[in-house]
Amino acid sequence: MHPPEIELNELDGIIERHKNGKWELIPLLQDVQATYGYIPPESITPIAEALNLYPSQVQGVVTFYSGFSLKPKGKYVCRVCRGTACHVKGSRSILRLMKRELELEEGETSPDYRFTLETVACLGACFLAPTMMINRDYFGKLSPTKLSSVLGEYRQKGNNKNG
Amino acid sequence: METIALTIDGKKISSHTGTSIFEAARQSGIIIPNLCYHPELKPFGACRMCLVEDENTGRLMASCVTPVEPDMVVQTASKRVVKHRQNIVRLMIAEHPESCIVCSKGNRCRLRWIAAQLGIGETNLYHMPNYKPYEEANPFIIRDLSKCILCGKCIRADHELVVVGAIDYSHRGFQSRPATVHETGLEGSSCTFCGTCVSMCPTGALSTKNTYYVGTPEHETNSICGFCSVGCSLAVGTSSEKVIEVNPAHLPGSVNGATLCVRGHFAHDFLNSRQRLITPLIRKNETQGQNGLVPVEWGEALELVANRLIHIRTKYGPQSIAFLGSTKCTNEENYLFQKLARASIGTNNVDNGGYCSGQKNTHVIFDNMGGAYRTSRIADLENAEAIVVLGADPCHSVPVFSYYLKRAAKQGTPLIVVDPRHTELVDFASMWLRPKLNTDLELINALAAVLHDEKWHDLAYIDKFTKGFRDFRKSLKMLDLGRVSRLTGIDRNGLTEVVESLKDKKIVFVVGRGILLQKNAMQIVGAIYNLSLLTGSIGVKGGGVYFLAKENNQIGAFDMGTFPDMLPGRQTLGDENNRKNWERKWNVSLSRNPGLNMVRMVEAAERGKLKALYVMGENILRSLPQTERVRQALSKVDFLVVQDILYNETTQLAHVVLPGAAFSEKQGSFTNLEGRIQPFDPVTRPPGKAKPDWEIIDILQAKLEQTEAYGDLEKIRMEIRQHVPAYASLNGKRQTWIQERSEMDFSNGADSEGSVKFIPVASIKPESNDSDYPMSAIIGSMRYHLGSGTRSAVSKRIQGVDQEGRLEISYQDSITLKVKDGDKVTVTSRCGSLTRGVRIGKSLSAGHIFVPLGFNGNDAMNLLALSDYTEPDTPGWNTCRVKVKRV
Ligand code: SF4
Ligand code: SF4
Ligand code: SF4
Ligand code: FES
Ligand code: FES
Repeated sequence: MHPPEIELNELDGIIERHKNGKWELIPLLQDVQATYGYIPPESITPIAEALNLYPSQVQGVVTFYSGFSLKPKGKYVCRVCRGTACHVKGSRSILRLMKRELELEEGETSPDYRFTLETVACLGACFLAPTMMINRDYFGKLSPTKLSSVLGEYRQKGNNKNG
Repeated sequence: METIALTIDGKKISSHTGTSIFEAARQSGIIIPNLCYHPELKPFGACRMCLVEDENTGRLMASCVTPVEPDMVVQTASKRVVKHRQNIVRLMIAEHPESCIVCSKGNRCRLRWIAAQLGIGETNLYHMPNYKPYEEANPFIIRDLSKCILCGKCIRADHELVVVGAIDYSHRGFQSRPATVHETGLEGSSCTFCGTCVSMCPTGALSTKNTYYVGTPEHETNSICGFCSVGCSLAVGTSSEKVIEVNPAHLPGSVNGATLCVRGHFAHDFLNSRQRLITPLIRKNETQGQNGLVPVEWGEALELVANRLIHIRTKYGPQSIAFLGSTKCTNEENYLFQKLARASIGTNNVDNGGYCSGQKNTHVIFDNMGGAYRTSRIADLENAEAIVVLGADPCHSVPVFSYYLKRAAKQGTPLIVVDPRHTELVDFASMWLRPKLNTDLELINALAAVLHDEKWHDLAYIDKFTKGFRDFRKSLKMLDLGRVSRLTGIDRNGLTEVVESLKDKKIVFVVGRGILLQKNAMQIVGAIYNLSLLTGSIGVKGGGVYFLAKENNQIGAFDMGTFPDMLPGRQTLGDENNRKNWERKWNVSLSRNPGLNMVRMVEAAERGKLKALYVMGENILRSLPQTERVRQALSKVDFLVVQDILYNETTQLAHVVLPGAAFSEKQGSFTNLEGRIQPFDPVTRPPGKAKPDWEIIDILQAKLEQTEAYGDLEKIRMEIRQHVPAYASLNGKRQTWIQERSEMDFSNGADSEGSVKFIPVASIKPESNDSDYPMSAIIGSMRYHLGSGTRSAVSKRIQGVDQEGRLEISYQDSITLKVKDGDKVTVTSRCGSLTRGVRIGKSLSAGHIFVPLGFNGNDAMNLLALSDYTEPDTPGWNTCRVKVKRV
């Protein structure tokens, strides 16, 4: 499987929606990220041209925020919390387990572009520690068993939709 | 602005609202340690080195970003402040690599200096160097970002001063670094290698690539750039009489401030080229030495020159001798040179290389304004209300000038670019007009017509200062706008749109080689002049005409009279009074013969009419069209003297070669494109036996005239001051300005005599199609070379960039011609051909190719016809019809 081919027409549409406003760079990048799952590097120059910025400035913003990525990510982005509360509650072994299960190191994406493994500093849900997010869903009070079942679910979903 | 009283280090100071504590301290002589501060950049507050303490509140603050407040009591070096500063520096050093000791920034590293000041040796911190790849794939700049302290000066210089945007911060925290898009090396980015960021970088993170010397120069001397007509101030670093590094001098009021361009910054290594001439040479016998040229002493060489010139004058008369002065030599030298021709030999056959840049065509405005307002000041571009750039590619030809334009555009000044190519400036323009080739005359007239139609002309100005408006408006009304649209490809709506954006504005016109070397350029300049009068843009704040001269002293050479029918001070030779005047001053009688220009000299040589030619600092075998024809013509000349600094194409034909000195090796003055006269002193001695050019001419004229030599540059300056009113302020110490005869006094209104006239509207004949030569070549500059590239081509660093000078073609044409990037093509015109690689670019319409000048022996000139373009309807030197074939 390949990273999703990027459809530049869609990019044109996104740029068109944002190009006349002020302070539109971040909302535009969010749209691009939501559409493609990442910010395709080849989109930097057209975005910069439309917003009258230098391409280097756009890249600066993209690389500054961890919410944006210049590399294609998996369909499911798993973010394991490594904050203090979660650490105390054993997030280190949750991460270890995730690595083993997905056969990925931190920051890596599976060759089939299904999973990406990342860590974050704190998900802001410390009372549920140890926590993790997959895309926009939270999972708290994780244990190895719970983790396996959650992952199983996502593997299942992936299989159903992508054959 | 309110005055604010405060105390800094016990000193009572008064400052103004909005001033930073740092600036306030600086103004009263207290320099606070700093790393990210630069007077030309917006305050940034990144390094925290400038910490100060407010005694009243106990607050520590970065003084460069904290404004003064009433009654503040500031300590810049209290114990607490120093302790914090030390800690910050210790942290920076802990992150620094060990290569610090062999760093090429050497003793000029600000970090090292500050560390020394603060007494920091060992940091006692865990050493954690932040290794980044060492980048030096380009020939100019080494980037060793392990040494970067994230002060952001490079990024701010790149965005705020030179307006390129090649770099910005990328990533966060420990990873954060200035980076190009896609994090390529600089050569893969939009970087122009202006080096401005290199001069500003406080550490060795950015440094100049030097192949033959590493370390700090022993001396630094100020000078003026020897390349283009912007005339940037340089700080030239030398060791053992060799120029090893150049930086902006950053003098108050200089044109360039803290910026430079790639040529000024990096191409001056040509001065150390092995092709420098170091001894006089005489052609004795074809089998000896460098194709017959053998080294001799000065005495022998000059004796020969004097004797041969006298002999030829006696035998064939003074009109058989011609002199070609130099746009790269000083004012004093050009003055002396034309005096040698006119007074000592008795001929007005004297020109300079500015012919190749269309300088003569700028004269329309000078003539019509009675010598007034022929230049405008570059700094005034900041006050421009609207800027129209015609046939100019300033980002390449006069880079530092382009920074002003881009900064104005960024601040919201309407910038209209009229060019067949999508030049770099178009990216900053509010509007881009793309007329068909060589139709600018019709376009400008049509703009005037539409503007007048809409009644947006400046009637008050016209009434007060001009004559001939009735006739002019009549001919504007008669203009067939339908025809104009057909010719230019720009329809009425397009014209209206432009005119609307110019409504009620004074206009700045920036005019480049695309206009000045176009067929019938004088008429086009006339049309620009008319449009300026119509909008009331000449002689007022916010308007003006800027002709982009090419070479560093192109303006000065003309002012000094190395031009056939113009005496010094641009006085017409044909005018009896002028001639009488100079006859009295020089105590000679002057020839009335109007003299030959550069092209006519070659033609005269071809016909066997020119017996002797003395060329100073001009490589005509590289700068003129149809090189082969020029070579044949020159070989017919009985006696060819070439005075130059480099062994080049033209010296190879000479009978006598005289080694002159480069700008950095002599005293003199240059006049830049805005009329700023800049004197300079030598930075090093000339190499070998080479001599300053003025000394050579001085000795020679003394020999010819049997008089005493001037012997001292000041004596020549004095004569210029006395006899050339525009240069009355010329001196050896400070820069001054040419004093223009300003007959229109715009502040009080002009009397009837002071009025200036509109020029009758002219029209062009459309170019007919030529099916044998279906495409058009546009010939223009690239920033790596200046002019014909004689000097830049021997710069080692410039040699490190693509020397092929690839031609640009459009994507459509690449399909038709079946070529890919890098393939070779042959371009043939009616006059000649060249073969180069191609680059598929986005700047051209189909049917056009772009041929950059300076590369490959400047073979671009082979395509053009050696014609005197100053004559009406003679082909221009900006474009020509060609056919292109894949090799
Ligand atoms: S490269 Fe030099 S100028 Fe640029 S941020 Fe780093 S230290 Fe400052
Ligand atoms: S060399 Fe000039 S253009 Fe290149 S990054 Fe530095 S400031 Fe920008
Ligand atoms: S802009 Fe012209 S004068 Fe200034 S550094 Fe460049 S070549 Fe020299
Ligand atoms: S520490 Fe994990 S959610 Fe806050
Ligand atoms: S000089 Fe003030 S923070 Fe750097």
